[in-house]
Parts: sequence; structure tokens; C-alpha cells
Amino acid sequence: MILDWETFLTFVPLLVQGAVTTIELTVLVTIFGFLIALPVALARNSESRAARAFARSFIFFFRGAPILAVLFLLYYGLPQIPGIKDSFLWHLIARPMPIAVLALSLNSAGFLAEIFALALRNVAVGDIEAARAFGFSRVQTFLRFALPGAARLCMRPYGNELVFVLKGTAAVNFITITDLIGAANQIYFNTFDPITPLLVAGAIYLVFALLIVTTVRYMERKLSPWLFLKAALKEAKA
Amino acid sequence: MDWSLFLPGATGWGDELAAGLWLTLRLGLASVLIGTGLGLLAALGELSRSRILSHGLAAYNVVMRSVPELLVILLLYYGLAFLIMALLRPFGIDSFIEVSPFWAGTLALSLIHAAYASEVFRGAFQAIPKGQVEAGLAFGMSRFLVFRRIKWPVAFRLSLGALANLLMTTFKNTPLVSAIGLQDLIRAAGDAGQNTKLYFQFFIASLIIYLAIAALMQIFQMRAETSLYAHLRRGPSA
Repeated sequence: MILDWETFLTFVPLLVQGAVTTIELTVLVTIFGFLIALPVALARNSESRAARAFARSFIFFFRGAPILAVLFLLYYGLPQIPGIKDSFLWHLIARPMPIAVLALSLNSAGFLAEIFALALRNVAVGDIEAARAFGFSRVQTFLRFALPGAARLCMRPYGNELVFVLKGTAAVNFITITDLIGAANQIYFNTFDPITPLLVAGAIYLVFALLIVTTVRYMERKLSPWLFLKAALKEAKA
Repeated sequence: MDWSLFLPGATGWGDELAAGLWLTLRLGLASVLIGTGLGLLAALGELSRSRILSHGLAAYNVVMRSVPELLVILLLYYGLAFLIMALLRPFGIDSFIEVSPFWAGTLALSLIHAAYASEVFRGAFQAIPKGQVEAGLAFGMSRFLVFRRIKWPVAFRLSLGALANLLMTTFKNTPLVSAIGLQDLIRAAGDAGQNTKLYFQFFIASLIIYLAIAALMQIFQMRAETSLYAHLRRGPSA
């Protein structure tokens, strides 16, 4: 009952559509996850007790909760809040896609905030002091010294988290969105062969993940070339 | 809010939720135990002298860490039955075979857990100071005794923190098994929500339970670390 390739080819458009949805979700969640995580990371390192407490509970909540639980709570639970259906915001998000992006971004932000906060704390104190001594304002110091310094430190864990974002998008299958896995499932229902479509989908996920990892490695190399000096010299000699 | 909804009995959903929680706990625990064991074996295989074994296992880790958990669960659930049926057909057995969703789910989560755990163990084994192992061998210990008395205790201590994080990750993956029809906690909450139209309350309740599990694990991790690292603690000893 393994699918022959001719039949399989007729389903390629469906798979492509699913793959596009998966990419779309991954990109959107990467962007929104970053935008949510950065202020939380700053709050996590802030001098204000209240801000720190908020950031800690945010991180605990979204790191500890399964993605599906958050997704279901927003998808099924939000419409129950009295008055929400009359609000402007509701018309903006009351579809599966925005809800999915919101839930996945919050989940990712929980992990990212901790990564960013740790990296920001570990930027060399001397760099910051030197910048301040040279008369850079606090904002300038942050943008020109702390942020790039932290970016260097958190590239590796950030790359891992992006792979988790890619894998996490699979949860949208539970709220009627057809992504790569959904497409594979539909091919299964039409052909009674579950193995071929799922294996093909798995191979596509693998390619996406490798792309993410390679891109992050490349950026790491660009951001801190001196770390790769030894390897480059070896290569040049050989 | 009507709290009697959470009581057991014909009108409340307490017993359904409890049964779902019990399934989640059994599934998570079985996956973690099997997965950690497999991960340890895989790490030893990766560190072995056989190049085929170590490269094969490394490739397995990359694939398992790049593909969504949901895909692995579906592939094993559908695929195992297909595989068994295909293997039996040459023997004239043409019956329909169904794989238990619980064990398919457990196997899927274990295999994923093993991929991450083997990376943790491999790192830990590589971090053991060589001198300790050489000293053991010089004292005439057998390879097995060196493993049991020196390598394993040190490696376990080094990997404990990462293993505890993996434990949490695998528990957070358990809701995905509701895709293959298992009545876990999130599914029970969903059923209760559907019947009462009170999704919000039931999903919040399930979230609180998941977060409580996460919090308990963190406390357990901290306890275990303080007792295992007792010799590294600074300060006056009793």
C-alpha cells in the first residue's frame, strides 16, 4: 500500500501549500517572539522589584505550560470573556492564524527572554563602563555596546530556540490550520498511505531546521569572527 | 464560578480530569524512563570506537531534534501498524493490526527524549577528567568497574541539570498524544469544555496543573542538586 510516485506527484501542490504555511508561521513567530521577549528580558534585569517579579512569572508561566494548553486557552477560551467580541481587537485576532501566532510567540518569548536576559547580564562590565566613561548616553550604551555584545553571546541558544519554534508550529494542526503535517495527513486520508507523506514532510522539516542552524552559524561567524580564527587559519594552511 | 464542575461524579468533571492527569503522568514518566535509558546507551554508542555506530547515532540525533514531535507520534502510530502488517503478509497473515496508542505515544516520546538525553550524556562523559579514568585503570579496575565507580557517578552529576530540563520538555510534549486519540489531561479538559461551554475555566485548570507539575520538578531538581553537589558547597560544614 506504499504510494507510487505518480500518485504522489499529484499531491505536491498540497505539500507546497502546507510548507508555505509552516514557513509563514515560523517567520511570524520568530519576529513576534523577539519583540515580546526583549522587553521581558530587560524587565528581568531591571532594578525594579515589581518588573523583575513580572518577568520571572512570565518566564515561568510560558516555559512551564505546554504549547497546546496555551493555544487551546486562547482559541477556545478567549471568546468566553464577556465583552471581548464587541472590541476592536477581537476582529483583528478572531481567526485561527493570529491566535496561533500569538500563542506560539508567547511560548517562544518565555524561553527567549531568559536567554536574552542571561546574555545581557554577561556582557563584559568593562565594555559598559568604558562606554559610559566616554560619554555615551545610557540608550546609546545599550544600543551600541550591550545589545551587540549580548547578541554575540546568545547566538547558539537562540539558534536552538528557532528550531524549537519551527517544531512548535506543528501544534496549529489542532486548531484547523493545515501546515506541512496537516498536508501529509490529508494525503494519507486520500491514499491510505500514511508513511510516504509523513516521511516526505519529515525530510522537509529537516531541511528547514538545517537551514536555520546554518544561518545562525553564519551569523555567529559574522558577529564574532575571532572565535573562528583558529579554524580559518587551519583551513588556509591545508 | 461553579466549583462543583470540578468535583467527581455524574455532573462534575473531576473524575475525567483526574483520569486524564493519571494518563499524562504515566505517559510522561514511562517516556522519560525509557528515553533516558536509551539516551545513555546511545551516548555510549556515540563514544564507541565504531565509526558507523557513532555517525549513525549522531545522524539520528539531528533528525529527531529537527522534526516536530507530532510528526514522530503520527508516524509511529500509523507506521508501526503498517510495518507489522507488511511483515506478516508474506506469512499469509492478512489481518488488520492496531497498535496501542499509549505505547505508540510512549515510544515516540521516548525516542525523542533519547535523542536529547544522549547529547547530554555524551557531553558529560567527555567532560570527565581523563586522569580519573586512567587512575582507575592503573589500580587494576576492570572497564566495567571504572564505568560504575568513576565515569557514571561523575557523568550523572554533570548531566543532572540538563536531564531535569528534558524531563520538563517531555512532560510538555505529552498533550500532543491527544492527536492519536489518547484521553490525556488536555483532552479531558477539552471534552469538559465542549460539554459545558466553559472552555476557559477548564483550560485554565489544566494549565494550573501543568504548571504545578513543572514547579514540583524544579523543586525536586534544586533538592537533588544540593544533595549531589554537597561536596562543592562552600561555607562552614557541620
